[in-house]
Amino acid sequence: MSEHDHKHDSGSPEWVTCKHSLALLVEYLDGTLPPQEKAALDRHFRACPPCIDFVRKYRSTPDLCRSTMKEDVPAEMSQRLTAFLHGKLKAG
Amino acid sequence: MSEAAQVIDDKDLVERARSRDVAAFEQLVSRYRSKVYGLAVRMMQDSADAEEILQETFLSAWQNLPGFRGESAFGSWLYRICANFALMRLRRRKVEGEATGEQPANAAANPENLPGPRFDSEGSLLTMPSYDWSRGTEEKALDHELRRAIEAATASLPTEHRSVFLLKDIEGLSYEEIAEVMGTTVPAVKSRLHRARLALREAIDNFYKRPGKQQDQATRSGDRP
Repeated sequence: MSEHDHKHDSGSPEWVTCKHSLALLVEYLDGTLPPQEKAALDRHFRACPPCIDFVRKYRSTPDLCRSTMKEDVPAEMSQRLTAFLHGKLKAG
Repeated sequence: MSEAAQVIDDKDLVERARSRDVAAFEQLVSRYRSKVYGLAVRMMQDSADAEEILQETFLSAWQNLPGFRGESAFGSWLYRICANFALMRLRRRKVEGEATGEQPANAAANPENLPGPRFDSEGSLLTMPSYDWSRGTEEKALDHELRRAIEAATASLPTEHRSVFLLKDIEGLSYEEIAEVMGTTVPAVKSRLHRARLALREAIDNFYKRPGKQQDQATRSGDRP
């Protein structure tokens, strides 16, 4: 499989690269970028399918991780926690 | 129970527990023990350490509840206590490792080597077409192989990156709370979070690029090739 090749019109004065855009993803998704910078990234993402795919997956990563990381305390450990706290709380 | 309803209910239980109502505190323990344990075991990568942190966290919460002013949600306050105990142990583990010359693999991992996107000389993203796994995350989370792949990728992150990711994206603490717990700055927290997300995004993408996995997913979701 070959790497997807895409070329941008990097001659535009307001052009930002994929590298620049993706480095600002935390602030972009938090909505904390200055308006001008956000607009520049919006323009880039509208014209760049590989970045659109990248951002979509980047945005979903925490959701997917959170869904897989649901953990239950083992029953015996839970009993030991209760016994530990009973002892300590009664002691004052 | 909805998140909003739980917050309201938490406030009532916290108020009673602040007045030394043991039964109310036990309800809070029952509500939060799995989340606290999950955070501890993923930060420490060791269930025995996690159990001790679980006990320390709830004992400390009981002792410090009278001083809890409710400026943050009770859960966030609890996760910060848990993270503090975990970080203390991780620092101790690091010092002991340096003294004996033994370092856990992830602690030695160089953040510069974390996986992430590649670019050409003009800064354009180099990418290969791959299955779009960004939809239906709840359903995908039931895949045990994927769970193991995410566990392994999380475990292989450098300690500080893993901690930031867990506290922000899994437990929902604010950047300021994380910076305070970790003794660092908000920009440093954001930078570590970004690197961790990139590495985990890459790990999940690689998981779905494995032979058979892409076809398997396309068939299940009814996608056309």
